[in-house]
Amino acid sequence: MNRKIREAVRYLGYGRHAIDEQTLALVESSMEELSSGVRERFIYRIFELSQEGETLKIGDWEIKSRSLSKNMKGCRQAAVFAATLGPEADQMIRRASVTEMAKAVVLQACAAALLEEYCDSCQDRIAQEMAEEGKYLRPRFSPGYGDFDICHQEMLLKILQADKTIGLTMTKSFMLTPTKSVTALIGISMEQTPCHRQGCEVCEKTDCAYRRDSK
Amino acid sequence: MRERLGKELLFLDGGMGTLLQERGLKPGELPETWNLKRKEEIIEIHRQYYEAGSDIVLSNTFGANALKFHDEDCSLREIIFAAVDNVKTARALAGKDDGRHYAALDIGPTGKLLEPMGDLSFDEAYEAFAQAARYGAEAGADLIHIETMSDTYEVKAAVLAAKEQTGIPVFATLIFDERGKLLTGGDVTGTVAMLEGLGVDALGINCGLGPEQMLPILKEICRHASVPVIVKPNAGLPKQRDGKTCYDVTPEIFAGWMKQLVETGACIIGGCCGTTPAHIRAMTKACRGMQIQVPTEKTETIVSSYGQAVVLGDCPVIIGERINPTGKKRFKQALKEHDIDYILKEGICQQEQGAHILDVNVGLPDIDEPAMMEEVVKELQGITSLPLQIDTVDQRAMERAMRIYNGKPMVNSVSGKQESMAMVFPLVKKYGGVVIGLALDENGIPKTAEGRVEVAGKIIREAAKYGIRPKDIVIDVLTMTISSEPEGAITVLQALEMVRKKYHVRTVLGVSNISFGLPYRPAVNSVFYALAMQKGLTAGIINPGSEEMMKAYRSYLALMNFDKNCEAYIAAYADYKPAGPARTGSPASGKTDSAGGASGTGNDRKTGEMDLRYTIERGLKEESGRLAKALAETEEPLSIINQHLIPALDTVGKRFEQGTLFLPQLLMSADAAKEAFAVLKDTMEQSGIVQEKNGKIILATVKGDIHDIGKNIVKVLLENYGFDVIDLGKDVDPERIVETAVKEDIRLVGLSALMTTTVVNMEETIRLLRKEKPDCQVMVGGAVLNQEYADMIGADFYGKDAMQSVHFAQKVLHSGEKES
Repeated sequence: MNRKIREAVRYLGYGRHAIDEQTLALVESSMEELSSGVRERFIYRIFELSQEGETLKIGDWEIKSRSLSKNMKGCRQAAVFAATLGPEADQMIRRASVTEMAKAVVLQACAAALLEEYCDSCQDRIAQEMAEEGKYLRPRFSPGYGDFDICHQEMLLKILQADKTIGLTMTKSFMLTPTKSVTALIGISMEQTPCHRQGCEVCEKTDCAYRRDSK
Repeated sequence: MRERLGKELLFLDGGMGTLLQERGLKPGELPETWNLKRKEEIIEIHRQYYEAGSDIVLSNTFGANALKFHDEDCSLREIIFAAVDNVKTARALAGKDDGRHYAALDIGPTGKLLEPMGDLSFDEAYEAFAQAARYGAEAGADLIHIETMSDTYEVKAAVLAAKEQTGIPVFATLIFDERGKLLTGGDVTGTVAMLEGLGVDALGINCGLGPEQMLPILKEICRHASVPVIVKPNAGLPKQRDGKTCYDVTPEIFAGWMKQLVETGACIIGGCCGTTPAHIRAMTKACRGMQIQVPTEKTETIVSSYGQAVVLGDCPVIIGERINPTGKKRFKQALKEHDIDYILKEGICQQEQGAHILDVNVGLPDIDEPAMMEEVVKELQGITSLPLQIDTVDQRAMERAMRIYNGKPMVNSVSGKQESMAMVFPLVKKYGGVVIGLALDENGIPKTAEGRVEVAGKIIREAAKYGIRPKDIVIDVLTMTISSEPEGAITVLQALEMVRKKYHVRTVLGVSNISFGLPYRPAVNSVFYALAMQKGLTAGIINPGSEEMMKAYRSYLALMNFDKNCEAYIAAYADYKPAGPARTGSPASGKTDSAGGASGTGNDRKTGEMDLRYTIERGLKEESGRLAKALAETEEPLSIINQHLIPALDTVGKRFEQGTLFLPQLLMSADAAKEAFAVLKDTMEQSGIVQEKNGKIILATVKGDIHDIGKNIVKVLLENYGFDVIDLGKDVDPERIVETAVKEDIRLVGLSALMTTTVVNMEETIRLLRKEKPDCQVMVGGAVLNQEYADMIGADFYGKDAMQSVHFAQKVLHSGEKES
């Protein structure tokens, strides 16, 4: 089972249970349908970053967040990042919701897994570019994580002109549309900081049913 | 300026944003505020463009719409007036007040996605653009330039607003990628068809790409466009350097490419991101005096949706007829019960069966047809990319559907009656569309082929008076039933050929009327269909679920070499085996709909061994439908539900709760049960049995929240357990939920929310419900919720999963009632 499929199965709530063949077949066919039907896109721009206590500044943009400051500690630059699977993924899920709810749920999980993997691969690309300048990336940190207020979604999208560059926008309540999208800040520093925990394990909700390292 | 369009080369200006950044515009600062705050610098840039040779200079109003522009110090009106005034001032300073240099109001996208992709309604988008357009025209703009659009729906709202609110020329350009696609999936053909239908004065491409990459897309646009084409490239593809976005193409190289673009067919040229007055100066110098390729009238008949275009050309296409209540009890009931899902399924099903366009008819005497039509069209275009055919005799329904339709629709229909033409043609002129012209008039349906062709001619001539071209009319010479009109088929076939030869128009027919009153109708229908295609039928309105019709269609395409190497034919029938006596039910529709891996597992077992309980527990959808149908021949539907379906669902539900079976499996079973219910529902309808519903429940995803998958899961399960679910959808105002609860006397409401930011709206909804409908209970669910949170916002019940909501619904709605 490849990583994407494994992640999708985890999102479906299987935890450590083995997945049955019938569902696995549905996961695999949905992943394939999705991979060939979506047009992923991403964009990033690198900005100078200044930090004062728990406040970060990028141009006119001020972000007050303890957890983000911690994540960005010692960084003088940050990559503002956004990625999306595009509207096709949403349409596939919407459509399956009418005819076949099981498939809708599986597509949803597959899309989440696909998106994570895509973001990782984008981040690798940025990391490579930075490595040439002798710089290192921190893990990406999204609005809504910790106390990084989701309202910052607005400025983040505006700075990237994400609507016209990758077709990514948000609703009045700061939810991304297309829904299968990620925005984040990625700290750039001159030193490699070891043991930054990645992804799901870093979350404080340790009783989450979908947690990767759940017992 | 309209006299000059498409006759001579016109020059636009170049970039604005990049120049402002150089002058100190900070990341995230609103460039439009500079129209007031740093007026002189804006005027200076505009002046430089006029002096560099621009005929048209765009105001600095790209983000000046109510949805994007929020500033405490200046109002939108002030900004737009100042911006247009700055252009005019610059024009005077440059000494170009000669009536041959123009100030354009620039309109960019709202930065929001429209429904159903996002949360912005078409009407809200329209309003925002309408306001900007009004201010711009009042401020004295000579034209409106809509640009950098990525979504056909949004650009439609903008063009309609610009045209309805002002009388000045309207240009529209979009961002296409290197494959010629919009970010929202649209293609060149469909976009051009829609924009020309809406009556833009010029259209084209801007931003996203450099001139070199735009060349192939320009070619494609020119192949389809009859109006002048605009090209406004970036100075190459963006590159990041030292944290800044840079564009590499120099003015000289840019000018060289622009020359090529003019030779290829561009009539109005300028620059977008990264281009400067130096680029424009080099461009005007290189291109001034060049002869443009005068745009010619294209004759392709095209309909489109948000994502694709269908060309009605030599290769016949299929219009699916099944979204129509005529003669269909079940469909009528779905309309009366507002069962939109049933209608959507008919659409998806026909798409899978091979339809290219979907006819949409929701006319019933006792429903609000305009509202229903609007809703169904909106919902359909959210789940299918097939173009739609708006089928109604109700003028209001037709207009509302055409207005909110995302693309260039097919319209069914107009006849040769003056009254009909006076009603339909203005709508086609305004919104664009391909309209079916029925060959009948005040004197009825002409008996002869000649007579029908004559009426067709009348329709085409009358349409011309409105400015509607023959390419946008498709003639229906009217299929007559051969059992009552012995010459019916012969006349139609003659008329098809004649009308095509005489007027060079495309044709359409409702095919199946031919066999009315005869036994084994598919036999007659399919042969007549083949004959009609041979005589030049462009679009047959048929049931793509009819295997005979599809056989005729696929064979015809293979025979006439429309299906290269018989690929589609082989794909459909490679596995064909002659029907043996053992095969029942499910017609081999080419592609069987994907029941995931389910059918595979089922086929491993001998069908004889499976019973309905088993197939539902295992989530075998097709088998469940088939077995339910077989059972219904010997057993009462209600007993099947109580003896087979519900126990199976209970078993699966228990396993789910025990953690031995997981959500996808629970839902596969639910889908299988749903399939069985659908079969039983048909049976009951035919025998007039009414299934008692277990009580009504409202489900909604709260205001501000667009993640509705959890709500949809709960819905499927509740429906399986016989509850009558009123699904209000996502992003639902508290007021609407309360209103519905009061009106329908609802005792249970289920609310879902995904994020902490929207739980506030959940709380508000509960508060309102308590006030207006105190006897109504509320259950809540969603990713961020837990028992504590649910208690805090005053919910009666927190459902941690979908089965819990079923149990709670049973508790609330069954208590105090005798159970069946």
